Amino acid sequence: MKRINLPMSLSLIAMAISASMSPAFAEGYGLANAKRDKVKLDKWECKRCVVEPGLTGSVGAGIASNDGSDPHFANTTGTDQDGVTGFVQADGSYISESGYRTDFEADKLGYDTGSASVSTGRPGQYNIALGYRGLANYDTNRALTPYSGSLNLPDNWQTGATTGQMTELDASLKPVELGTKRDRFNLAANYQGSFYKADIDYQYEQRSGKRKFSGNMLTNSAMLAQPIDDSSDTLGAKLYFNGDGWLAGINTQVSQYKNDHQALSWQNAFSPTFGAAYSGQSAVAPDNKAYRIAGNTQFRSGSNQMLMHVGFSRFTQDQQFLPATINGPTPELPQASLDGQVDMIEMKLKYTGRITNEFNIRASYDYRDRDNKTQTASYPQVVTDSYFSGYATNLDYDRTRQQANLGAKYRFSRAVYLDVDYRYDHNTYSDLDRNKLNESIIDAKLNYNINPQWKLWLKAKAADRSGGAYVPVDTTDNPSHPLARKTYLADRQHAYYALFASFASESAFSASANIHGAQDDYDDTLIGLTKVDSLGYDVSMHYQANDDLTFNAFVNQDWRDSDQAGTSNFVSPNWFATISDESTVLGAGMAYSNLLDKQLALGLDYSFSDGKSDTEVTQGISTPYQDHYAKRHNVNAYADYQFSDKFGLRFDWIFEQYQDADWQNANLAPDAIPNVLTFGDLGHDYSAHYFGLTLSYQL
Amino acid sequence: MKSTTSHTLRRYLPWCVAALLSACGGDDGEPGNPGEPGGPPASEIEQLIVEVNEVQLNAGVATVNYRVTNQDDEPVVGIASSTYIATQLLPQGYTNAGNSSQWQYFTSESCSPDCPGEFTDHRNGRYSYTFSAAFDGMNEVSYMAGATQRVVIKVGGDSLPDGTPLPTTNQHYDWQDSGEVAYTRNIVTIETCNTCHNDLAFHGSKYNEIETCVTCHTEGRVSNNDNIFPQMVHSKHLVGYPGSLADCQTCHAEDETLTEHLNWARVPTMEACGSCHTDINFPAGEGHPAQADNSNCVACHNSDWTMSAHNDGGNDEALAQFSATITQAALANDTVNFTIRLSNPVTGENYNASADELAFVNDLRVYANWGNSFDYATRSAPSIKLTEITPNGGSNGDYSYSIAGLTVPAGTETDTGTLAIQGKVCAADGQLGDCDDDSYAQVNIKSSTQFFASDAIADMGRRSVVTNETCGSCHGDQALNYHGSRNDLAQQCQLCHNPNMTADAQAANPSIATADYKHMIHSIHNGQREGYESINYPGNIANCAQCHAEDAAGDLTVALPLYGGVPPLSLDDGTYTSATTAICSDCHNSDSAKGHMTQQGGVFMGTYEDATAGTESCATCHGKGASIDVLEVHAIN
Repeated sequence: MKRINLPMSLSLIAMAISASMSPAFAEGYGLANAKRDKVKLDKWECKRCVVEPGLTGSVGAGIASNDGSDPHFANTTGTDQDGVTGFVQADGSYISESGYRTDFEADKLGYDTGSASVSTGRPGQYNIALGYRGLANYDTNRALTPYSGSLNLPDNWQTGATTGQMTELDASLKPVELGTKRDRFNLAANYQGSFYKADIDYQYEQRSGKRKFSGNMLTNSAMLAQPIDDSSDTLGAKLYFNGDGWLAGINTQVSQYKNDHQALSWQNAFSPTFGAAYSGQSAVAPDNKAYRIAGNTQFRSGSNQMLMHVGFSRFTQDQQFLPATINGPTPELPQASLDGQVDMIEMKLKYTGRITNEFNIRASYDYRDRDNKTQTASYPQVVTDSYFSGYATNLDYDRTRQQANLGAKYRFSRAVYLDVDYRYDHNTYSDLDRNKLNESIIDAKLNYNINPQWKLWLKAKAADRSGGAYVPVDTTDNPSHPLARKTYLADRQHAYYALFASFASESAFSASANIHGAQDDYDDTLIGLTKVDSLGYDVSMHYQANDDLTFNAFVNQDWRDSDQAGTSNFVSPNWFATISDESTVLGAGMAYSNLLDKQLALGLDYSFSDGKSDTEVTQGISTPYQDHYAKRHNVNAYADYQFSDKFGLRFDWIFEQYQDADWQNANLAPDAIPNVLTFGDLGHDYSAHYFGLTLSYQL
Repeated sequence: MKSTTSHTLRRYLPWCVAALLSACGGDDGEPGNPGEPGGPPASEIEQLIVEVNEVQLNAGVATVNYRVTNQDDEPVVGIASSTYIATQLLPQGYTNAGNSSQWQYFTSESCSPDCPGEFTDHRNGRYSYTFSAAFDGMNEVSYMAGATQRVVIKVGGDSLPDGTPLPTTNQHYDWQDSGEVAYTRNIVTIETCNTCHNDLAFHGSKYNEIETCVTCHTEGRVSNNDNIFPQMVHSKHLVGYPGSLADCQTCHAEDETLTEHLNWARVPTMEACGSCHTDINFPAGEGHPAQADNSNCVACHNSDWTMSAHNDGGNDEALAQFSATITQAALANDTVNFTIRLSNPVTGENYNASADELAFVNDLRVYANWGNSFDYATRSAPSIKLTEITPNGGSNGDYSYSIAGLTVPAGTETDTGTLAIQGKVCAADGQLGDCDDDSYAQVNIKSSTQFFASDAIADMGRRSVVTNETCGSCHGDQALNYHGSRNDLAQQCQLCHNPNMTADAQAANPSIATADYKHMIHSIHNGQREGYESINYPGNIANCAQCHAEDAAGDLTVALPLYGGVPPLSLDDGTYTSATTAICSDCHNSDSAKGHMTQQGGVFMGTYEDATAGTESCATCHGKGASIDVLEVHAIN
């Protein structure tokens, strides 16, 4: 086989660009900081970096079957198809003798979540890639509704003042499936010159499906399956230049979002409370556009590195307004559309430098400004399509955020270093309860490599957030209680600590563990979220019994308790809620390869996850809410049998037992709440199997 | 408050008590600590003060420990009869979203002197009562840990063994089994009720506090849910209520010490609202969109909405922006010339236009009458309507007018007269506005009066008998309007309703058959006036102080002798009844009462000369300080 050497410049540029993107490389030990003056690059030819010309890889086709009646299982398998379904797999490349290379890949193509890509080009010069990827999220197929897909009610529907009076409800209920599917197409090209690189990338994404929507009519509401049919286009281009000790480039992006629906309209299942409100209409996500232009520069001089980034983005939307109401004469709107425009300016300056071999410092300043340039106007307010309730003016909600950061890392010895970081975060807002909010954050990490096997680090972080006077806004009809503090604007004391240890022997066993905890104390809050405590740990281990047999196991548990205070007499806090969240994830697995004359590989993985959230409200009497949990057992096994040089057969088996419940809808009939027509119980409880058989051919 | 020792305590209680007694008996001569009375038992008892120290729970059985003292903090020993009521409060929203907090009655146990539970008089002012059983399950109510509990102790209404009478006293105590009480339901005080009612007490006068009433008038205790406290009280006031029912704050008065005093606006429920809005059937959707429960009420009827709907939507704020006052007045023959100032007290500026040119003034009138010392010269007070005439002159808020045709009897020129102002303005949402704009509604201004002498306005005029404040204790602050917008009940009405009115001589009791103010008011309130027979006077009619004010000397204006300027009652057959006799017979109209008055010099339907001859000797016995002083024999409170 003929071998082709990769040109050196590719990896260098790639490294340089990644250094400008990722601060992880910018700590002084990255490639960019290496003393490369004396490096003889032309001698760096990688003797082993050789690629055989020709066609390599594998292609395959498979069939699969699953017995899951609940589409939620498809979140695991990637297909919701009942009965037998087929798919195509491929992974390979073709390299021509002249150095052109074409890669192709397909993964479960034929499934909702399948993907395929093909790229071709001359490595180090140019590349063109075409890709497809399906993404899907499956919620339920048990949502019960009397509405048709176009959100109309049956002809014989009898409206009722309450759900109990809807005489045709039971006979009209049909299940509807909730979930979304996305198809994402990609076209990308890049070209690389001797001192520059150009990139262009286009992505088109189409989304379809249905999701839950609340159709409100005054105090009545119906859960509706809102159809989703929308798409987004994103076009990005980059041009980067590099020279000795510097790198500069420009990034641009334009995107647009198009919604096939201009409005969501539905028939009112309830008898109109006022007037002739026989149907409702709500605005949906408006078509909108955005563009962004940004410049990056990076300079190096000795052990000093400077990075600058400036960006500007503009978001606009001028979707035609719907009438303020479709029930009766609509008050006149001041404009035909919002003609909304929000500009964002971002700027970042960052310096990293090595003072001595042991001592590094870094400093940065970050500025972000959101400026809503939409014209304010007085808009009529029609409460849920029912009655006119005066005028309201749209608000700017402008924000400016500045962050200053100072950090240092000192290496005491080969084994021990200390990294300390201080950050000051300063925010100004308009139209919120607080117009200024600032936070000081200090964190430190002490790393100790005890010996080549044992590594230990300890992390701690403390933050103190406060700001200007808290004055509840009067721009709303329902001003906050004077003692209430919104969580994101409240004074807060934050503490976080974590201890990590890992062991990696030269023998077959390795393990790592960490324990972490955090406390958030909203010390000035009498009504609102007052305290959040969390604690958790992770343990994972890996054991290589021999060259062919490996075992792994992991466990992770997290707990979080959130305390909240409220008032029912509008005077002082007199009810208290505690929300206890708990999650457990554990698993174990093994992989055994090279069985039966190196023809058979076996794998088995088991995982268990259990998440629950318990809410208890206490006002003298403690009232626990009902269950809210999700529990999942999953077994994933395969056997891969290579029965000839070219042909292999793989068998997959997935078993899943899944159960969840949410007190918000558990055991709820659609007419259980007098003024809310619900989808009923949306919980899941299933055991399902998936079997897959794949025939593969080695190219 | 769970006690592990109370069981043992109870078993050895007799010995403990004995030990305590011997300790008390061996008086060391030191005065007892305040609040720890150790001295001799109280002998004079005007007031009982019941102080509950604690409620202990032992295996679910509650023991209440309390102390009873008199007004001087002396222990009251030997109270033999008492009643203990136990009840539990469920928090707001507990029974369903939107529901109000709700009392649940457990039991009422009385010792008179035998008790269902265990009663102990510790003989030092301290008492203990252990209920007969655990609350849990009583009256089919589950005891809820952490819930607010209430114990009411009723003592008094009888006497100590030595015959000392004990005033009826209700004392409540809210507690819970694990710390501070987490929530309450304190909405109205009995003092508010008693501004119109007098010393309300029910069920044989045993229960005289709202905190007691609510413990039994609960769902599950009363057989008819209409008798649950809020519903019952609301519906009882629907008929014959003397003020505006829309003004919830007459009873639900602003009171920061009552944690839930704004519940009337903040916790709307179909039970509370529906007990006044009786034309609504919420579940059936009649008179209101159908509502299956209370979970939605507040979505529309938030507290601002409810307050504005029941407080006439900011009329008080609008009225505060208008003031009409008479700044000058003088009499010229039978004409009074006066200057009226129209101003905005909020800004302190005058309105720069006369009433006929101010768009927000719907109606403004001034009446005049003369002769304050003899209760006016005529029953027909002349008037002018300022909104329909141009002023004689004036500028910058001060405008002059004349009212002609006053009756000024010869020789009374040194007397005084009265000018009364009444009117209506147009307002909405707390602002005055153009009366031609339909969005502004007519609002009555508060009527006022101004006395005047022949050459200037005067501070002193007709005597003050009742005040707008005393009338307002039931009728609201100048909220009762007659003849359109007349609401100054203290002085305005009398310009016409005066002794120049004649009584029907054919009436069974002619003294109440006149529209003369004093006789008219007495007869309306005692239910004897034609058309007012069904009046259900809310207080004790013998409490003259409910309406009558005190004079400058601090004496109630019912004191005898009667003011000398009061003319005799004039009857339409040309006869007269002497003044004091006429007044007293408004209420005391039996034949024997009439006989008594006649014997003591009173004149019924005699000549003017006889009726004014001064033969009445009422004050000899009934005068202030005399043996049967009217101030003493009436239940004046």
